[in-house]
Amino acid sequence: MGFLWTGTWILVLVLQSSPAQAFPKPGGGQENKPGESNYSFVDNLNLLKAITEKEKIEKERQSIRSSPYDNKLNVEDVDSTKNRRLIDDYDSTKSGLNHKFQDDPDGLHQLDGTPLTAEDIVQKIATRIYEENDRGVFDKIVSKLLNLGLITESQAHILEDEVAEVLQKLISKEANTYEEEPNKPTSVTESQAGKIPEKVTPVAAIQDGFTNGQNDETVSNTLTLTNGLERRTKIYNEDNFEELQYFPNFYALLKSIDSEKEAKEKETLITIMKTLIDFVKMMVKYGTISPEEGVSYLENLDETIALQTKNKLEKNVTDNKSKLFPAPSEKSHEETDSTKEEAAKMEKEYGTLKDSTKDDNPRGKTDEPKGKTEAYLEAIRKNIEWLKKHNKKGNKEDYDLSKMRDFINQQADAYVEKGILDKEEANAIKRIYSSL
Amino acid sequence: MAARGGRALLALCGALAACGWLLGAGALEPGAPAAGVRRRRRLQQEDGISFEYHRYPELREALVAVWLQCTAVARIYTVGRSVEGRELLVIELSDRPGVHEPGEPEFKYIGNMHGNEAVGRELLIFLAQYLCNEYQKGNETIVKLIHSTRIHIMPSLNPDGFEKAASQPGELKDWFVGRSNAQGIDLNRNFPDLDRIVYVNEKEGGPNNHLLKNLKKIVDQNTKLAPETKAVIHWIMDIPFVLSANLHGGDLVANYPYDETRSGSAHEYSSCPDDAIFQSLARAYSSFNPPMSDPNRPPCRKNDDDSSFIDGTTNGAAWYSVPGGMQDFNYLSSNCFEITVELSCEKFPPEESLRSYWEDNKNSLVRYLEQIHRGVKGFVRDLQGNPIANATISVEGIDHDVTSAKDGDYWRLLVPGNYKLTASAPGYLATTKKVAVPYSPAVGVDFELESFSERKEEEKEELMEWWKMMSETLNF
Repeated sequence: MGFLWTGTWILVLVLQSSPAQAFPKPGGGQENKPGESNYSFVDNLNLLKAITEKEKIEKERQSIRSSPYDNKLNVEDVDSTKNRRLIDDYDSTKSGLNHKFQDDPDGLHQLDGTPLTAEDIVQKIATRIYEENDRGVFDKIVSKLLNLGLITESQAHILEDEVAEVLQKLISKEANTYEEEPNKPTSVTESQAGKIPEKVTPVAAIQDGFTNGQNDETVSNTLTLTNGLERRTKIYNEDNFEELQYFPNFYALLKSIDSEKEAKEKETLITIMKTLIDFVKMMVKYGTISPEEGVSYLENLDETIALQTKNKLEKNVTDNKSKLFPAPSEKSHEETDSTKEEAAKMEKEYGTLKDSTKDDNPRGKTDEPKGKTEAYLEAIRKNIEWLKKHNKKGNKEDYDLSKMRDFINQQADAYVEKGILDKEEANAIKRIYSSL
Repeated sequence: MAARGGRALLALCGALAACGWLLGAGALEPGAPAAGVRRRRRLQQEDGISFEYHRYPELREALVAVWLQCTAVARIYTVGRSVEGRELLVIELSDRPGVHEPGEPEFKYIGNMHGNEAVGRELLIFLAQYLCNEYQKGNETIVKLIHSTRIHIMPSLNPDGFEKAASQPGELKDWFVGRSNAQGIDLNRNFPDLDRIVYVNEKEGGPNNHLLKNLKKIVDQNTKLAPETKAVIHWIMDIPFVLSANLHGGDLVANYPYDETRSGSAHEYSSCPDDAIFQSLARAYSSFNPPMSDPNRPPCRKNDDDSSFIDGTTNGAAWYSVPGGMQDFNYLSSNCFEITVELSCEKFPPEESLRSYWEDNKNSLVRYLEQIHRGVKGFVRDLQGNPIANATISVEGIDHDVTSAKDGDYWRLLVPGNYKLTASAPGYLATTKKVAVPYSPAVGVDFELESFSERKEEEKEELMEWWKMMSETLNF
C-alpha cells in the first residue's frame, strides 16, 4: 500500500536530516485534536481487534454478524501487518532501509544520494498523499512517529502545516494530473510491500470486485460498490467538480461560493468532501461497512451538509467541520443508524454531548426531591384511601391508623437498615404518617 | 489561511478516522436523543406509571412508591449487593407479604441481568405499579393472583451494568457495553453448568433434579461466581419458587430449556423432560404479545436465523447453545421452572418506545403469572398429619422430580392429561395416586405417607391378631 511506502521514506528522511534543519519554519500552536484522534484511531483499531476477538468468544449474534466481523478481522490483519511493517521500518538498525530507498525510481534522494531539502520532503509527502488519495495515511504516520518519539509534537505540527499547504496547492492546480500517477507508486509498493497484497486478497475474495482502475491497484479489480458509488467514483476521477454533482446540495453550495475571499473556503470544502468519499470507499474496501451503507451514508451526508454548511459558511471552516455531523434525522434503517452514531461520536469529540439519559443534573437536583416527595405523598394518600375503604368499621378506623403508623415506622426503620430507604426518606414518611 | 486550512484538513482526517472506527464497530443501537427526561416525567405518567428509564435511584424510589401505596400487599427486600454496592432489590406482592403461606406457590420475575438489555427492567417496574394499582381498583384477576400467589419482582439483577449502558451518550447504547457485571462477568454464563452433569446422568444414570448436593457449600466456596450470581443462587435455595421468567433483550421470543446442546454443537433441539409444559408456558407468554407471536414478523436483523422460532417460542439449544445460564440452573438445581423471554429487537431502545413495549407485554406478564396455578399441587404428610419436607414427587413418564417444601407443600406443573404421581421420602413407604389434570386450575392431591416403623408396627399387630385368632380357634 502506498502509505506504507510513504511511511518508509518519511522515516528515512527524518532520520537522515537532523530534526531542527528539516523544519525551518517555527510551528504555531496547533490544536491537538487531529493528532490525538488519529492516535486514537490506531488504538481504536487495536481496540476493535480486541473487541472482535472477544466477540468470537462471546455467543451473542455471531451468525448474523459473521460477514462484517470476518471483514473486520481481515481489516485488522491487513492493518496489523501494516503496523508491524511500519515498526520494522522505523527500526533504524535494520539494513533494509537503505535497500528500500535505493530502489525508489521516483528519486527520493538526489542522484548523489544526499537527502532532499525540507521543502522537497514536504512536497513529496503532499504529492504522495494526493496521488495515493489517502490522506488519513499521513496522520497515521505522524502519530506513529510521535509515539515512537522520533519527532516532537511541534515538529509534527510544522510538518502538518507544510504538507497541508502544499496539498492545497496541489488540489487546486493538479486536480487533473494525479490520475496518471497511481501506476508508478502502486507498482513500486507492490514489490516493496509483498505481504500486503496477500493479506488483502482474502478481503478481496470475500467481497465482489471493485472496479476503480484509477486508484489503489493493489486492491483494485476485486471490490465493487453498488452502482451509485461506482458511478460516482468513476466520475470523480475525471473531474473535481462533476463528481460532486452526485451530491446536489453540496454542489449547489459550492456554486454559490463565488467571491474571491471565500475561494479558499471552497477549496477546503471540496477537499473535505473528497476526503470523506475516499474514506468511505476505504471503509467499504476493507469491508468495515457494506457498499449499501457507504452509499446511504454519503447520501445522508449530502443532506446534512446542505443544512449545516449554509449556516456556517461565514464562520471558520473548523466550525464547519464539527457541524458536518449534526444531530441525526429521524430515520430507522441500519445504514442511517450508523450515521447517527458517528454524529454522536463527533459531537462527543467536540465536547458538546451530554449524557442523554440524565439531563441537567444540577437543575434536576432541585426538581428531584420535589418529584420524589410528591410521588411518595401521592402513594401514601392512595394507600390511606384504600385502607379506609377496606376498613369501614366505625371507630376501628382510628385504631387501625395508629397501628398503621407503628407498622410503617417499624418497616421504615428496617428498610433504612437494609439500604432500601435513606434516613431522610424514612423520616419524611414517618412524619407524613404521624401528621394524619 | 493555509495553516487554518491545514488544521481543518487534519482535524477532519482525525474526525474521519474516528468515524471509520465507529462505522466498523458493528451493530450499534440507536438510543433516544432523550433530552429533558425530568421535564417529561409528568407528561408520560399514566396512573402513576411513568414511562421513562429509571436509573438506580429512580428504580429504588419507584419501588418505594409502590410499597407506600400498597403497604397491605407489598414488601421490598434485597437479596444482596452488586459488585459496586447497589442493592439487588425485589418487591414482593402477596396478601401476606413476607410470609410463605403453606400451599401458596412462589413466583419470580428477574430482569436486566444483562445491563444493556433495558426493557425488562422497565417493564418490571411498570408491572409492580400496575399490580398495585389494579389491586386497589378491585381488578378481580389481579386480586385473585395476589391472594393466591407470592409474586417476587426483581427489576434488575445487574444494576451496575445498567448504569454503564445508560451512561452511554445518545445513540451509542450498543450491543455490549453494560452487558456484564462490573467485573466483566456475563451473569447468564456464570451459573454452575448443571446441563453437562444431567447429560452425563442421562447416559450413565444419576439424579435428574436438585443436582447440586451441598449446594450452599459449593456456592460459598466458588470464587468464580459473581456476587450477583451468588445472591440469586441463595435466593433460589431459600424460597421454594415454582415458576419464573428471566427477561432479556436483543430479540423477540420466549425461550425454554434446555439452553445447552447435548452434543456440544452450536444449535440442536435439546428437550428437557418437561418439554411439553415448557412449550405451553412459553406460548402462554408469547401468545399475548402481538409482535412476538406474529408469524409474519420479519426477524430482528436481516440475517438472523429464527428458523427455530415457533409461535414466538423456541427451545434454547435449538436457537443457540448457552452454557451456564440461569434458566437451566433453576430447573436442575431446584423445583423452579424458568423460561427466558427476549422482549425487544433493540437492547436499549429509545425511551419513547417504553410505553408501547408495556402495552405489548402487560397481558403476557399477567398471563404468565397465572400459569403457576396449573398441574397438580398439595401436601405430603405423615399419618399424624405432620408435614414431610423434602419428599420426592415423581410423575410417571416424566424423568424429572420435584420436592416438597418445608410445610410439606409441593406444586407440579403439568399439561392436561392423566398422570400417576408418586410421593416418597426416606423412611417412608411410597404412595402412588392417579390424577386427571385439566388446563387449569391446579388439581389438589395430598399424600399421607406411612413410615417404615409404622408399617412394622402394623404388621406386628396384624400378626398378633392372627395369632390370637388362631390360638382361640385351635385352642392353644
